[in-house]
Amino acid sequence: MVVLRAGLCPGLTEDMIQLLRANGIRTVVDFVSSDLEDVAQKCSLSYKALVAVRRVLLAQFSAFPANGADLYEELKSSTAILPTGSPSLDQLLDSGLYTGEVTELMGAPGSGKTQVSLGIAASVSLGLKQHVLFLDSTGGFTASRLYQMLQAQTEDEEEQARQVLGRLRLSFVLQLEALQRIQVVRVFNIYELLSALQELRDRLSQQVVSSTGPLKMVLLDSVSAVIYPLLGGRQSEGLALMMQLSRELKTLAREFSLAVVVTNQVTRDSSTGALKPALGRSWSFVPSTRVLLESKEGSTQRAASLAKSPRQPTGIQVELDIG
Amino acid sequence: MQREVDTLPLAPALRARLAAAGFQTAQELLDTGPCGLSKEIGISREEALEALQVVRQECHGDAARPAGGSGATRKYTALELLEEEQSQGFIITFCSALDNILGGGVQLTKITEICGAPGVGKTQLCMQLAVDVQIPECFGGVAGEAVFIDTEGSFMVDRVVDIAAACVQHCHLIAEAQQEEDHRKALETFSLENILSHIYYFRCRDYTELLAQVYLLPEFLSEHSKVRLVVIDGIAFPFRHDFEDLSLRTRLLNGLAQQLIIIANDHKAAVVLTNQMTTRIGQSQSTLVPALGESWGHAATVRLILHWDNSQRLATLYKSPSQKESTIAYHITSHGFRDVQLPAVTHSTEGTELNPRKRPRTEEEKQ
Repeated sequence: MVVLRAGLCPGLTEDMIQLLRANGIRTVVDFVSSDLEDVAQKCSLSYKALVAVRRVLLAQFSAFPANGADLYEELKSSTAILPTGSPSLDQLLDSGLYTGEVTELMGAPGSGKTQVSLGIAASVSLGLKQHVLFLDSTGGFTASRLYQMLQAQTEDEEEQARQVLGRLRLSFVLQLEALQRIQVVRVFNIYELLSALQELRDRLSQQVVSSTGPLKMVLLDSVSAVIYPLLGGRQSEGLALMMQLSRELKTLAREFSLAVVVTNQVTRDSSTGALKPALGRSWSFVPSTRVLLESKEGSTQRAASLAKSPRQPTGIQVELDIG
Repeated sequence: MQREVDTLPLAPALRARLAAAGFQTAQELLDTGPCGLSKEIGISREEALEALQVVRQECHGDAARPAGGSGATRKYTALELLEEEQSQGFIITFCSALDNILGGGVQLTKITEICGAPGVGKTQLCMQLAVDVQIPECFGGVAGEAVFIDTEGSFMVDRVVDIAAACVQHCHLIAEAQQEEDHRKALETFSLENILSHIYYFRCRDYTELLAQVYLLPEFLSEHSKVRLVVIDGIAFPFRHDFEDLSLRTRLLNGLAQQLIIIANDHKAAVVLTNQMTTRIGQSQSTLVPALGESWGHAATVRLILHWDNSQRLATLYKSPSQKESTIAYHITSHGFRDVQLPAVTHSTEGTELNPRKRPRTEEEKQ
């Protein structure tokens, strides 16, 4: 419902808008759906000018249909699959994290969500040399743990590469570069999060390559920490903000070919006592893939099971080691 | 700025009116100006001016952020954070086993939660930390001050005097052994009166007072910039009794957690909370779990559970972003929190100088 304004398109002047408004046409929808001959007579404007304006407005504001074959070709060329650094998790996710989609990791406290997200960030930054944006809303991001993971991963790669000269210095430099490719933004409430996402969108659409480089992944740990204080009670704006956030994440993923990973909490179902993901039914439609992490007594092993996926059958379980 | 109107922090009624009038982005709002805005959506000029101020602040906040990031915007690369973390100190607890499993001690800028059954030593640990945060840097401390928010009334000054005296004596012994100039200089200011005068004590009687106190804390901390520890002893107590609306409780607790994280981050302070335990009754057995529900478990970054094993006190690190899960034994003496030394195990029943209102545990009662 965009209001008609001067400068919206080349033929639309301030006088035209005043005349149209006097006849009850205020928004683009009103204009496009009205009978132009009628309007030309009532407002004494030229018919040709109105038709030209309408054509430009339609081009600007309506969606164009695309056929399935073109869509398939486009997806084939723009979608990338990012390996997570853990072969069993990759197996669960059908070979990795798909760009253009939102993936969710959920689990009880201490089940390893932050650890798995740190591992994914380390693997994408070190292995694929892509930039990563980590949005931290819980204060759980520990750079020393990330460095530990990078060191562990560089050792694996070294064994495979078998380089001889300057190995130590090379691996240290690789780790430092990997750390510089991971940008961390601390957002502690929903408005800060939304403005951080807006800033990301502006940066990506202006294609400022210098400081950021090719961004491929956005990790948000955790989404429920910023949304929980708003939900419940009689206020409905919490739900609206949550949906606004989900729309922002999905359009970012789709438009700029990013893989978005989100972590979520679990709550206890009051009637059955079972654990269920937080944020309710409305949020459950947002991520296309959901993975549940469960801890086992007294070990660093975690059980990851697939709760929702567009490609794999649900209920597959694998073991992860976050040690 | 192409920021959508729905994402701006305006009142919901105002947002609904703006949406109905057809405004979509913040730029359109700024272009219209206060007069046009008040005419189109039917609000007074003052309200329109206020709304535009908020919008301008948000949008110029977005634009004014430099690419490199600064403290106010909280944007860093992982490398910068690593350097910061490595230069940060820890608050030691004087129990080296506990410090080891925590990775050096209680970390600054993070929320640590201590859960435990009554009488196991949560308040003792908090009082120990309030003294330890003041240890000068040359002895390995962070040389900060402490804020102690008490909701249960279990803070005993006499006990803090004992702990502080033991700590000062410990530092004197180190100084004598090492004979360095800065040690001696630091010891001149590190005295009993000094320690006690740098623990700021607040008493909150119900949850409203607690919420108000946490809300006013950032102002207090900007005046007292040396504070490095905020202890809330008994965060469960005001929220557990007489609370009819459980969803309100979850909302308040989550909001409180976010505020505490902001405080911990902005002022580089460690936040320590103590929680009670409750029983979860399952199908065949019942287990002791931390109170305040499942969602509260996500609020703290580091979770430590203190429990008994016959007459030995144990501490388990249950949740941490950088350390593994492990359990150690500790000991509470007249000097405070200490490691377990083998001959001292037999003293554990009488050495526990807890608050007089808690019964000392004896062998028969446990069986």
